[in-house]
Amino acid sequence: MSIEVRGVSKKYGDFVALDDVSVSLPTGQLTALLGPSGGGKSTLLRIIAGLETADAGTVAIEGVEATHLPPQKRNVGFVFQHYAVFKHMTVAKNVAFGLEIRKHPRPEVQARVAELLELVHLAQFADRLPSQLSGGQRQRMALARALAVSPSVLLLDEPFGALDAKVRKELRDWLRRLHDEVHVTTVFVTHDQEEALEVADEIVVINAGRVEQVGTPDQLYDAPANDFVMGFLGDVTTLGGRLVRPHDIDVSPTPLGPDAVEGTVSRVLRIGFEVRLTVLTDAGEVVTVELTRTHARRLGVGEGSTVFLAAVPA
Amino acid sequence: MASLGGRWLRRLIVVGYLWLLVLWPTWYVAKNTLVGGFGAFWDLLRLPEVTSALEVTARVSVIAVAINVVFGVWLSVVLVRYRFPGRRVLSALIDLPLSVSPVVVGLALMLVYSPAYGWFGKPLSSAGVQIVFATPGMVLATCFVTLPLVIREVVPVLEELGEDQEQAARSLGAGTWQTFRRITVPGIRWALVYGLVLSLARALGEFGAVKVVSSRIAGKSMTATTLVEARSQFAPHEAYALSFLLAFAGVVCLVIVALLRSLGEKS
Repeated sequence: MSIEVRGVSKKYGDFVALDDVSVSLPTGQLTALLGPSGGGKSTLLRIIAGLETADAGTVAIEGVEATHLPPQKRNVGFVFQHYAVFKHMTVAKNVAFGLEIRKHPRPEVQARVAELLELVHLAQFADRLPSQLSGGQRQRMALARALAVSPSVLLLDEPFGALDAKVRKELRDWLRRLHDEVHVTTVFVTHDQEEALEVADEIVVINAGRVEQVGTPDQLYDAPANDFVMGFLGDVTTLGGRLVRPHDIDVSPTPLGPDAVEGTVSRVLRIGFEVRLTVLTDAGEVVTVELTRTHARRLGVGEGSTVFLAAVPA
Repeated sequence: MASLGGRWLRRLIVVGYLWLLVLWPTWYVAKNTLVGGFGAFWDLLRLPEVTSALEVTARVSVIAVAINVVFGVWLSVVLVRYRFPGRRVLSALIDLPLSVSPVVVGLALMLVYSPAYGWFGKPLSSAGVQIVFATPGMVLATCFVTLPLVIREVVPVLEELGEDQEQAARSLGAGTWQTFRRITVPGIRWALVYGLVLSLARALGEFGAVKVVSSRIAGKSMTATTLVEARSQFAPHEAYALSFLLAFAGVVCLVIVALLRSLGEKS
């Protein structure tokens, strides 16, 4: 295990940010700490990096007890949501910072910086100032800077949170590819479940200072440990008093089985390739159902039509 | 829409106000200084008492500004980066020198450091250290009155910079001092220079506090401002010449600050 967190608690005044959290993050993997804002995931990441101190509990990195080590002795790379670029240094100087602090010989530093800028596709921007870069480029530079010192773990705090949707998606794909190339143990914090599901090998769901569930994206999506995880990882609706995913409901004009629930379509909403039906059941439940456009057209449902709903067995 | 006449009238009032308050008196100082020609002005500046006063002022100001820069930055970092009980009180106290009359500051220093009755001055004096009526006292007084100038420039810039860059430097292996020197100082450098120049201008012109704690021996411990006051009645030409020089130094400082501002905004 690359990072071992044992019984970590942290309070800010009366607010409990982390409550006896224990988690093991495996070597070489890309792990997401996923949860709602204020749930404690960033605090956990900052405690691992040494930027915050835990009130109780221990942190070990690569088998080394790190609880009381200052951040500069932990050999972690940290990437901040708002990039934390060194504004007065060129891109190359930013990336070289950690190596210069470690007093590596000049030619070696230059070679390593060139190699990293190549890796993050910023080679032609080496002599620019960060203010001349776009948000996405700044974050790639921050990543190169963190990777320069060959950290044993790379920690990213909402790395794409400040970027617009399109750049976000590009960088997300790029991070995944980069990780497949570099293989450094990586932990990133996100509140975006799509980001976590798409990029991570493993997801740790954190809510209200506690770990709700740890697992692969498939495990979490298909077998959520509780209603919170189910609700956080995707859309949910209630059918017959049970939480179901809106796309896991069968819709038909005739009852398909004994459990089918009868209802009336009250609203049809088309979003791109997907159609969202709001169905008012005879029992008084409001159920959201998601279908593909083709499926909806085949069924011929419209506002006012009578339909029968049944949960698709997982 | 205001009429054209009204607009001109308003401008005239503002300009007239500035003229009566600032420009006319300053111009009069300049006129009286140079009434005997530039050569006479130069001769006045070379009088031993005048050169001595300028030397004392320069020495006290430079030492005070140097101390002020070190402690100003230190206090700013403490105020912005650390949370501790009494932080707000400390922050309010820093503005005290701006609101308290410098004469009071001088008197307060006397109460503490006077060799005759100061509770700190007596033991120091018996140990052979003289604070008041000597350069250390004048430096202390100048430090006191210039204290807020560096801090009030640096604090907002430090706040705006935030801790992210410093934390990033730490995570990259930099220690406290390396982080301060390589990240914090470059981040606040314009504010620091700006505060430094303002402090220097204020230090050169300080009168009240320094007057109380200095021994005021012409040719030895008199500063430029105290000499101006001492000579204003009986040797007005010396007073004019020194005043002109002090005003000139002040204007130079203002110009430097203005240039730095535009430079700092560009970078």
